[in-house]
Amino acid sequence: MAHYTELNIGPVHPSIHGILKFKVKLHEEIIEDVEITLGFLHRNAEKICELNYYADNMIYFDRMDYLDAMNMELGYLTAVEKLMDMEVPERAQWIRMIVAELNRLAARLVGIGAFGLDMGMLTPFFHCFIEREKIQKIFVEASGGRQEVNYMSIGGVYQDFNDKIINDIKEFLKEFKPYLEDIYNMFMHSEIFWQRNDGIGILEPDVALDYGVTGPLLRGSGIAYDVRKDAPYLFYDKVNFDVPISHKKDNMGRFILKVEEMRQSIRIIEQCLDKIPDGPYFNNKAKKSMMLRLKGDGEAFSRIESDNGEFGVYVRGNGTFKPWRVHVRSPAFKNISVVPVLAKGMMIADLIVIIGSIDTVIGEIDR
Amino acid sequence: MKQTGDIMYKIISESEDKNKIKIIQIDKNDLIEFMEDYKSKGYYLSSITGVDMLDHLEVIYHIHNYDTHEYIEVKVSTQDGKVPSLTKLWRAADWDEREQYDLMGIIFEGHDNLRRIFLPDEWVGHPLRKSYDLKKVQYIRMDSEGNEHVSFNENEGW
Repeated sequence: MAHYTELNIGPVHPSIHGILKFKVKLHEEIIEDVEITLGFLHRNAEKICELNYYADNMIYFDRMDYLDAMNMELGYLTAVEKLMDMEVPERAQWIRMIVAELNRLAARLVGIGAFGLDMGMLTPFFHCFIEREKIQKIFVEASGGRQEVNYMSIGGVYQDFNDKIINDIKEFLKEFKPYLEDIYNMFMHSEIFWQRNDGIGILEPDVALDYGVTGPLLRGSGIAYDVRKDAPYLFYDKVNFDVPISHKKDNMGRFILKVEEMRQSIRIIEQCLDKIPDGPYFNNKAKKSMMLRLKGDGEAFSRIESDNGEFGVYVRGNGTFKPWRVHVRSPAFKNISVVPVLAKGMMIADLIVIIGSIDTVIGEIDR
Repeated sequence: MKQTGDIMYKIISESEDKNKIKIIQIDKNDLIEFMEDYKSKGYYLSSITGVDMLDHLEVIYHIHNYDTHEYIEVKVSTQDGKVPSLTKLWRAADWDEREQYDLMGIIFEGHDNLRRIFLPDEWVGHPLRKSYDLKKVQYIRMDSEGNEHVSFNENEGW
């Protein structure tokens, strides 16, 4: 008769990125089943959003995927601006694109840095955070906030880009491009990194689609789906970039893909900096004195590509100052649900690596 | 016998939301047939949203075709808060339905494991309902087995 062990990992554990609990059923060292318990960081942001004015909800969206705050704000605003028939000036849209891509870089740096940390690789973690710090300094210059930026607002952005910010970004990109290759080589030249990741956590494309998985996890299974390409928002149809895919389907494929996407993000930012026009940076209909008097009516669903995948926001208004219902389609929530499939038949030590490669942010899962 | 190509469902209305996403409203009894038809056309479930309209509940399904990039919103309204579960069609429906059950109180009939996903099992009420009383604070306590218990008394939890 087979003998099983049940092991609780979490809720508070240094190597799962946040507070969630895994109940693992083990046969010797082999994982038979994983049960996930969520809700330790649940704040019911959707309910809080219903109680506030449209413009107030930015800060709650900042704190969903707290590493990728710009994209969270963008997702909410794309829906709300559609609801209000609010037009966004061109300059504001280009600025939004730049900060969204910069934030994607920052979130990825934490993602891959912490992923290495899960395997005991301390060095790349520090290098990632040094680079992330530079991005955050740019955000401080633009918005005053480091991580939870609250930079975008309905109809535009909070503050215009001045020449210093644009120069800072250009300088950062120039330094960052070779630096990224250094960080990448640090990972790829590590024998342990290869052994821990090659062939671990295999996700078949049909399973990925069935579970509603998006983002690097889906592209890592060989399906080229990127919202920026397939349903372009902002000016993503006016810049050139590629959607890389990996046919390896495992942790290693996903890691290589994530770094390749960072190179594409750099490409996008460089093109944006060339194309950004002069003009107003917010819509006059949404100036500060009018911010709380904006009404929304009808329903709108918007989706954007955040760091973790397709981030969708459903907003319904009933003609008042407050939204009637806000719903978030959280990519990390879907991605984490596939862990039992990835971990089945693997060793217990591989579970930590698999969670690291999915790159979860609990603030977004629990909302 | 059901033939391929036979349409077994009736579309009540078609419209567009403000982001140009097609909205199809159907009866909840036709939901499974409708979704089976769209699944065979290559659609996958993207998200489930419940909306409290005071006199009835609306359940909104967003389905997505990865080949044609079509995104469709399917709307179902229910008086008694019950809709058929889609877990037999897509695994993605599992957690989405548990979330909507937990927060909105929609019963998905045919779901094998319809438990609360965020809140403790003993939680009273469904927070996203408009009738939910936000002033009533509930306190959670964990026993030695690791099970969570809910109480309205301040001294019996944190």
